[in-house]
Amino acid sequence: MKLKSNFKYIATPAKVFMTVLIVLVAVSILQGIILEIERTFRLSATIKPKAELTQEEKRLNRIRNSAKEFLPDGTIHLVYNLGYTPTRMGLPAREQIYDVNDDLLWEGPSDKRPFEYLSWAKQLRRYRDGFTREQMKQTQMITTEFSQNVRIPVRSDNKTEQIWRYHPGAKFFKGYNTSGEKIGYAGSTGFTDSKSKVKPFEEFRLFTAWCSQDSSNPTLLWQTQRHIYQIDFEKQQVKLIFENTEADIEIEGTSLHAWRDLKPGEKEYVDRRKYRPLLHCVTEDGKHHLLMRNPGRQLTITIPKAWQGWVNHYHRFTATKQGIFLSRTWTEFRKAPDYLQTREVLDRLLSDYQSKDKQRHVELYRLGTDGSLDLLTGYTWIVPARTGPVVRARDPRSAVQRGVAQFSSPLYDLAVRLLGRKFWLWAYSSRNMGDFFYSLARMIMDIQPYGGVINRILSALMMVFVFLHGWPRRTSWAKFAFWLVFAGLFNLAGLLTYLALNHTAVVKCPVCGRRRGLARFDCVRCRAELPAPERGKLDLILST
Amino acid sequence: MRFSALLRKELRECLPWMLLAAIVFLALGGFFLRVEIHYRNPSWYYSRLSPGTIVESSLFTYYSILGIMGPLLLLSSIGLGLVLGIRHFWIPNFTRTWPFLLHRSVSRKTILAAKLTATMIAFVISLGPVWIGLYWYACRPEVFPIPQTPRVFIEGWIFIMLGLVTYLGTALSGLNTAKWYTTKIFGLVFAALVIFTIFPQCSLVWIFTVIAVSAAILLSRIFDTFLRREF
Repeated sequence: MKLKSNFKYIATPAKVFMTVLIVLVAVSILQGIILEIERTFRLSATIKPKAELTQEEKRLNRIRNSAKEFLPDGTIHLVYNLGYTPTRMGLPAREQIYDVNDDLLWEGPSDKRPFEYLSWAKQLRRYRDGFTREQMKQTQMITTEFSQNVRIPVRSDNKTEQIWRYHPGAKFFKGYNTSGEKIGYAGSTGFTDSKSKVKPFEEFRLFTAWCSQDSSNPTLLWQTQRHIYQIDFEKQQVKLIFENTEADIEIEGTSLHAWRDLKPGEKEYVDRRKYRPLLHCVTEDGKHHLLMRNPGRQLTITIPKAWQGWVNHYHRFTATKQGIFLSRTWTEFRKAPDYLQTREVLDRLLSDYQSKDKQRHVELYRLGTDGSLDLLTGYTWIVPARTGPVVRARDPRSAVQRGVAQFSSPLYDLAVRLLGRKFWLWAYSSRNMGDFFYSLARMIMDIQPYGGVINRILSALMMVFVFLHGWPRRTSWAKFAFWLVFAGLFNLAGLLTYLALNHTAVVKCPVCGRRRGLARFDCVRCRAELPAPERGKLDLILST
Repeated sequence: MRFSALLRKELRECLPWMLLAAIVFLALGGFFLRVEIHYRNPSWYYSRLSPGTIVESSLFTYYSILGIMGPLLLLSSIGLGLVLGIRHFWIPNFTRTWPFLLHRSVSRKTILAAKLTATMIAFVISLGPVWIGLYWYACRPEVFPIPQTPRVFIEGWIFIMLGLVTYLGTALSGLNTAKWYTTKIFGLVFAALVIFTIFPQCSLVWIFTVIAVSAAILLSRIFDTFLRREF
């Protein structure tokens, strides 16, 4: 008996928790289905053919969509890609080249282009040539085929001779030969044959790999929190190529140009006779670091304060044999310094941005030996305001999304508020895609009620329903009050949980004639006791 | 003594299913592993590496050679959990043998403890040794040069534990007297939710926490229902 009562105190909350969890998931799945259907219809509505543009609108569109390229002397050309046509599939796309006065200079297939523009360091892209911290985390994800690991092969005569496996927990590589014997370890100080001598790398951030022209074994550029290494497993070398003791290196800021020794024809190939190998990275203190070879040099550039705070602002670097150049692209629309403090400020900024015409600029600078910037040339064009309605509501989501979210628990709002800025910034960042908590956070952001009045009214209605349903069935005031509050806090999910756990049949009270639950001994209204069954003639037990 | 007698009785009932799960997992797992060892050639895998090219990062991510057995282990484990849950808690409803079991001079707690212990033993001795054996085999250098990571071994045990969670969910659903389309199914739904929550996780600590908490929730509800319910 004692065990039974003890279990009650654990089992009852467990029952409520389990039920509300299942119902919350079921309600959110239903909301998700409605939102996906709405999204599908919204997308198909947006790809309807638009009204015919005027000649001037077409011209502005073309300018906006053209790539702004620089000749080595600083002349700017606008390169407009006409795209592929079904009859020319497989052939290079056609393009038109205009000067800054909008005079057509040339038209033809892109591979026959008569101009050679400056090429720029490119950021390492996820999946193609960059392997990020998020991807490393995903290798640890448990799947039906277990987790994965990162292995680097060393080959000889088309045969794999060694495999170096990265251990994310220990932060070093462990090497094996084809007989399964351990051949050594690779860490931040180099290769060693003993575990006690290996010094781990810092927290992993990013790597990219390539095979140089004289080898079919990969070389790795390995970026950690504050260091960048180049690892050659074939020669068993770990070379420190960049170190910053003051601030962390930004994950998405690292770009390369002519750094990798690639063969002509490879997509990222850059002619090293014209360009110097360049590695560009950005540290979290806002400084840009350029590492060059032939001859080796390191340059740190502090971006002027006046350049900061503009929307869609980015820099690209290149180093030719003649000099080092910076291309700056920015939109004349200022971000408030605190635009990432709250979601409301960010949403307002986005809506303001969409509703106005903006000037966009591209500029070319030459870098001095001391990191000074000398403006060579620039070009400006207009980015028109977004056509169609710009949502200016407190809750910027579509009407269907707002409607669906009204049935969500108000606790989602509280959770988002308590988790704070870091949470929604994390949830907005697409680089977290693939993470379980990212999907969960996005779902909560999609269905949170956003403090809607209708949501509060619906919660109140759920409480009224629970009150009307629970009054004749109540067995204790505490329980009755708990379920009222519960329905208010969880909205539709709260009501369904309440019904799942509390619904009982009611009977008519023989004294007052009103409904009463079967779980009580007396009537909640007239206090009359439940009548005892009358003795019947065939009632053998009671009559003896 | 009474507990051990009950335990023997439950183990006798579990035995055919234990053997079936072990044989299926050993036979199919062994076969898949042999095929995988035969066809997975690291030299071929890395033949895309050529001088002067960028290497796609996906080439370096590598599933364990035991990965081929993951779905099989998971299915065997969940299947065993379902079958034992049905055998222990659903079948007596249909055969009307609950009163026969409960009339003995042992407490309900002992009966339930015997069932749960028998199930844990069944999982550990049917799938556990086969998994250990296959892992040990795959780690031998003459079979595959790179030893498997200890993490893969732990993940195999996580799959076995998911079978236990399925068993607990099935047991709770079996004990519930509500209609199957209402709250009766919640035990199984909860177990399914736990399995879906585990899969996209990276942290082993988090995974063990989720399994432990969900097992505690299900166990507390099973004990409460079993001790209170009228059979």
